[in-house]
Amino acid sequence: MITDFPAAPLPLPDAADLEAELAALGGGAMIPKAMRRTLFPVITKEDVFNLMLAQRQTPEKVVAGFAEAYRSYVGARYALPTASGTSSLHMALVGAGVQPGDEVVVPAFTFIATAQAVVAAHAIPVFVDIDPVTYCMDPQAADAAITDRTRALMPVHVHGLPADVPALRALADSHGLALVEDASHAHSAKIGDRLAGSFGDAAGQSLMADKNFPLGGEGGIAFFSTEEAYDRAVAYLDRHGIDYGMSWVAAAFGTSQLARLPYYDEIRARNAALIGEALRETGLFTPPHVPDGHVHAYNMYRMTLHPDAVGLGDLPVHAVKEAVHQLLVAEGVPAREWQNTPIPCHLPFRHRDGFGGGYPFTLNPAAVRDHRPEDFPVTLGMLDSTLVLCRELRSPVEYERILRYADAFRKVARRPDAIRKLVEEGDHRRPYEKAARLG
Amino acid sequence: MELFDTATVLTRVLTSGVVMSIEKSDRELPGLERLLTKQTGRAKAVLLNSRTGAVHAALAGQGIGHGDTVSLPEPDAATEAFLNWLGVTVERAGDEEGRRPIAYDHVALDATNADRLPELAAGASAPALVVDLTGLGFGPAAAVLTDDARLWARAERLKIFGAYDLRTMWTQEEADASLVPGVQFNYRLSPLVAACARMALTRAARPVATYGAPS
Repeated sequence: MITDFPAAPLPLPDAADLEAELAALGGGAMIPKAMRRTLFPVITKEDVFNLMLAQRQTPEKVVAGFAEAYRSYVGARYALPTASGTSSLHMALVGAGVQPGDEVVVPAFTFIATAQAVVAAHAIPVFVDIDPVTYCMDPQAADAAITDRTRALMPVHVHGLPADVPALRALADSHGLALVEDASHAHSAKIGDRLAGSFGDAAGQSLMADKNFPLGGEGGIAFFSTEEAYDRAVAYLDRHGIDYGMSWVAAAFGTSQLARLPYYDEIRARNAALIGEALRETGLFTPPHVPDGHVHAYNMYRMTLHPDAVGLGDLPVHAVKEAVHQLLVAEGVPAREWQNTPIPCHLPFRHRDGFGGGYPFTLNPAAVRDHRPEDFPVTLGMLDSTLVLCRELRSPVEYERILRYADAFRKVARRPDAIRKLVEEGDHRRPYEKAARLG
Repeated sequence: MELFDTATVLTRVLTSGVVMSIEKSDRELPGLERLLTKQTGRAKAVLLNSRTGAVHAALAGQGIGHGDTVSLPEPDAATEAFLNWLGVTVERAGDEEGRRPIAYDHVALDATNADRLPELAAGASAPALVVDLTGLGFGPAAAVLTDDARLWARAERLKIFGAYDLRTMWTQEEADASLVPGVQFNYRLSPLVAACARMALTRAARPVATYGAPS
């Protein structure tokens, strides 16, 4: 039988490892190859027990029980459990009153499902650039994109940091628009005492297994601020014969996992703080910015590189990033780009075939743009200069593993000579000049 | 399926540490795909998280989309509503000359007929066979079976992630323009649900087990 039990413990941090040669140049890796697997979520006997108990209930009751428990946790008024994050976003848009041909303003930097959910609602995604500090939708850019056909603003709480909801709420209200959150990265993220998913007129949230709050593989949930919006979404599914139902297996697993979500949150916050402190020491890296009053959920942890701080300011930042990426991966830190081009430049939005024959884009040709990456300079600047950690910060990351990640960043940052050599030897294209990718 | 079987399967998948349908190391989805292709005699399987997802994939796989018309023998009201939502007009298949060929065949499995999939599939002749697995009792689940590699490739691309890994799924260098995805949905099936469905189909195909020493 396959086991998820670790084969061997990670060695404790050792100051001598920091002085050793870089792994990419033949030295030992900070995290040896056989010890790199990060398991998430924590699955215990309790999960299995709850799944067994769920078999004694009706599927409808298991799913409804989960939805009610999580709705209450989020503090949203109404909840509709779905099969996936994409379907939850679709339902959030429908509940918010988005109609075929309407325009929905979305950020150019997100996961493709945000924009595809707009198309699923037979509406048109209108892409805008992001804020250079938070990487979430720029309210000023959103304002500039509003037309008579705009029906909703759909910010994404990117990587788990809530977008500028006060500014976007004010903008939406001033134009009579709905505010629909994509909270797929933002389980337990907060502004003040309120949780993501409860800010907008509606919200969608993925619960797939790579999220901070994972169900059994796939799942999602839509939240609504009014009964009318909830009823509109439910009636839409019925009218169009769409099956977006959540499996009771996922719901039972989710109910079990919900009880330990606060623990996961605390572990991630602790790990993020520890890594952040180590990054600041290096000069080369800075951690994500978190505005006052916001709680970042750290579904992903995007760090920024500052080549000038280690004497590499004469080199293109994207080339430095690529070299650092290579060195970190060799040390056993699974850093990644997580997107390398704006969403409107991905094939589905360059071709815009939609449901076929260009529908729904044909409903509103004036809203359609042939975008180039350069249309989103802030997004490009971020993609040039940042790297991401994903599940590496989530529970159950052992304390020694986090310490070793921190040491790996220190070790790489101490070697601007090696970074420079890699840059000079390589042919470094900007991220968007390579094929669009997620990893 | 027996409660013990379900508990065993769920525990096995949870213990594997892989509950993601986009993990390359996931074995549950390929396992169900293999079982379905074997039982139906079709070359390829696409797994989806609902019957309507499978209907959508069966049509998208054939390049049928908004503005097109399909022929179906006896579509129920929900199917017709769903196809209309896709922008596809439905005409009832009959014996009249000039009718289009049937777009897909449909089989719904439950505890009473799960052992008859090979027989039910043998009677199907459309390019795509939609197999609804929801009636097996683990939540919405379905598959599209086909012998057409292009239909399979297009149907997979309807799913966000689909059969493609994280590094290449939106490549800007598609060799074949007809494979470029249009709208995409997250129709991915959970490995936990897939494992249970696979177990139910396997159990249904076998005679009832006997226990104890042979007499």
